[in-house]
Amino acid sequence: MHELEGLMAGFGVILTAQNLYLCFLGSLIGTLVGVLPGVGPLAALALLLPVTFTLSPVGGMVMLASIFYGAMYGGSTTSILLNIPGEAASVVTCIDGHQMARQGRAGAALGIAAIGSFIAGTLGVIVMTFFAPLIAAAAIRFGPPENFALMVLGLVCTLFMISGSTVKGVLMVALGFLTAAVGIDVVNGHERFTFGSVNLSGGIELLAVVIGLFGVTEVLANVEEMVQSTVLAERIRGLWPTLADWRDSWRAMLRGSGLGFVLGLVPGGGPVTASFMSYAVERRISAHPERFGKGAIEGVAGPEAANNAAVAGSLIPVLSLGIPSNPVTALLLGALVIQGIQPGPLFVAQRPDLFWGIVASMYVGNVFLLMLNLPLVGLWAQLLRIPYRVLFPIVLLLSIVGTYSANKNVFDLWVMLGFGIAGYVLRKLDYDLAPFVIAFVLAPLLEQSLRQSLAMSPDGAVILIQRPVAALLLAVSAAIVVLMFRRTARIPGGDQ
Amino acid sequence: MKHSTLARLIVACAVVAAAVTPVAAQGADPKAELARLKPKDFPTQPIEFTVVYPAGGGMDVAARLLAKYVEKWSGDRIIVNNRTGGAGMVGHAYLATQAKPDGYTVGALANLVWGDAMLRAQGRWAYTDLEPIAYVNSDALIWVGPTEGPYKGMSVKDIVQAAKDKPGTIRIATVPGSMWEYLVDQIEANSGAKFLRVPFQGGGAGITALVGGNVDVAQGFYSEFRGHLEAGKVRPLAVASAARMDFLKDMPTFNETFGGSDYLWQVIRYAIVPKGTPADRKAYLAAAVQIAMKDPELVAEYEKTGAYFDPKLAGSKDLAHDLGEYAEREREFYRKTGRLK
Repeated sequence: MHELEGLMAGFGVILTAQNLYLCFLGSLIGTLVGVLPGVGPLAALALLLPVTFTLSPVGGMVMLASIFYGAMYGGSTTSILLNIPGEAASVVTCIDGHQMARQGRAGAALGIAAIGSFIAGTLGVIVMTFFAPLIAAAAIRFGPPENFALMVLGLVCTLFMISGSTVKGVLMVALGFLTAAVGIDVVNGHERFTFGSVNLSGGIELLAVVIGLFGVTEVLANVEEMVQSTVLAERIRGLWPTLADWRDSWRAMLRGSGLGFVLGLVPGGGPVTASFMSYAVERRISAHPERFGKGAIEGVAGPEAANNAAVAGSLIPVLSLGIPSNPVTALLLGALVIQGIQPGPLFVAQRPDLFWGIVASMYVGNVFLLMLNLPLVGLWAQLLRIPYRVLFPIVLLLSIVGTYSANKNVFDLWVMLGFGIAGYVLRKLDYDLAPFVIAFVLAPLLEQSLRQSLAMSPDGAVILIQRPVAALLLAVSAAIVVLMFRRTARIPGGDQ
Repeated sequence: MKHSTLARLIVACAVVAAAVTPVAAQGADPKAELARLKPKDFPTQPIEFTVVYPAGGGMDVAARLLAKYVEKWSGDRIIVNNRTGGAGMVGHAYLATQAKPDGYTVGALANLVWGDAMLRAQGRWAYTDLEPIAYVNSDALIWVGPTEGPYKGMSVKDIVQAAKDKPGTIRIATVPGSMWEYLVDQIEANSGAKFLRVPFQGGGAGITALVGGNVDVAQGFYSEFRGHLEAGKVRPLAVASAARMDFLKDMPTFNETFGGSDYLWQVIRYAIVPKGTPADRKAYLAAAVQIAMKDPELVAEYEKTGAYFDPKLAGSKDLAHDLGEYAEREREFYRKTGRLK
């Protein structure tokens, strides 16, 4: 087995004190970055990029990659405990994760998130070991029509995420689309809804929106309720997932792993899209969709697995083709270039030490992260004992630092504040914020791929059904919509 | 025609060679020269290199390499800071209108700032608010074609001819509102060809689409397609520069193929300070960047990324003036094409 030889050589590269140390350090930093609301992997990687210049290429890449997937482990922590996402890929974990915490099951939620992350991360790197070149070759043929069809499927799934009033949910999706339209039009370069503002010409920053809608809104809501110190801490029962939890969540983990892996490969996809879609799918296929939003453990296990698998997926195109599918992998590519290495289709053959070294380090890193995160579960749960009057100013401060660190643009802070207040009002009026965010994330990809498809086709929209993969994905979407209407029709008002 | 190209190439090579000769060879000790220029009270804190594009991109990589060598020669601490947003617009406006002109802010810019200043700044600032202190390098826009399918053996001339014979059948990747689009505009206007333009967010995404068979022609910089070229997945068609590239000698220029002199689309990277920076600090920063630029190691690192050195700018005695000439030629293009009134 050629791949096994490569992997063994990779372990040979990685099992030195220096590289193991860097892998551990990256895992630790990644976990912290994930835990801190606002500071995400992108900001952390940009900050630490200069540090890696002094390291060997293998050491530098191992550290940067481990920060990336380490952040996916840490991200769930504040989502579950405080209803504030540690980074954008853990937004959806808030929904059921925090409900579990409110029921005293924070430990189980944190545990299943860490274990789900480990399983997905390891599965992802196993697939990467054996099929990276094959998958890369298939992924590169994925063009605009296929992307469009995939985004449509994602959007259709989103409709199932809507809890409460359908009308309000659809309204939030529409608002998400509108907000995403702000900025420079991808096709003709014209400005839309910018009102002559330089700051709006680049569109509204996702991070500022997410931190505002979830972090700031949560702080506002809690300040209003004047929660007196340790509301949740008294009710912590059992730090570990029970057998029943396992039974409920192992399938969700596997599905999340598969889905996340595929979405990581797609240009513009990545951990954020993957976690949202996984949640939507889990809710769609669950026999008891009514449990979602009320502390369903599948709603934690699926998305947390998905965002980790997406990291492994997104590393394949960048390492085996030199094609980044999201901003974090673009930064990894830049790091390689600065080291004087040109990633491309020949990278695996020319620098087997680097490629296999990184792959091997991911096996090791995931073990490090599991060892780091499981014992931390108990410690994190103690966070809930911190009085809110101490905790929330800290959270707010971290939110501000994190939002500012992404672009170093003060305007983003106003965006964060504005969305924080808007989110608070919307929550009071019983509007669900998750459909807004998913629509906001999907809209640019959806618009761009549709307009690219139309631009590259001499015969207009026919291209969307001429290409088999696109046609198949669209057919599945259509089938889901039909099923949804039939279900609604059978149970009058059933989707209400 | 052939002779003049060759002659130009020789001149270009000679100038580039002269530009990269270490200062030491010219007699003066660069470190001593820099120490002589160093103001008494400067710098007392790290100097920020502002990059207006995201970390990891072409400009960012160029700036971080430059920072490394400026640190090496000057001993001053440099921090590379990415102020992103609005496809560079936010950072450009920051440098031109908000950054303190105290010498602690140096902008690592690309000439895309001119388009922002002329078309989008609405008179709030001009490119002349940013004073050039040193030329860094250039990257010329290159058309690349497929190695499979119906267009695999075609030269750039054949492809443009095919786009004229059967208008709207050949798919080309562009980036809207930028030189990627302007080059296609020029070719179409001069030849009567008509391409199907597929919009992408950057050159690299277009190259990916070419390799995946989703477009027939892509446009990008050497560093963006070098990996695919070595793997035999793409082939270079033509370059929008004045002379052929050293690293791809067989690739013709657009000018020699279509008989013009206006097919010149390149990213020019240079360093600036905000207008009003004290003269002594400006002179010191300029010397520090210029000395770093003469370090053969840095030159080699840049060449590895596919960048080249524009002989006119590398040997410039008055950089602001020479860059201004390029900028004003761009303004002329915007006027001619109705983008600017």
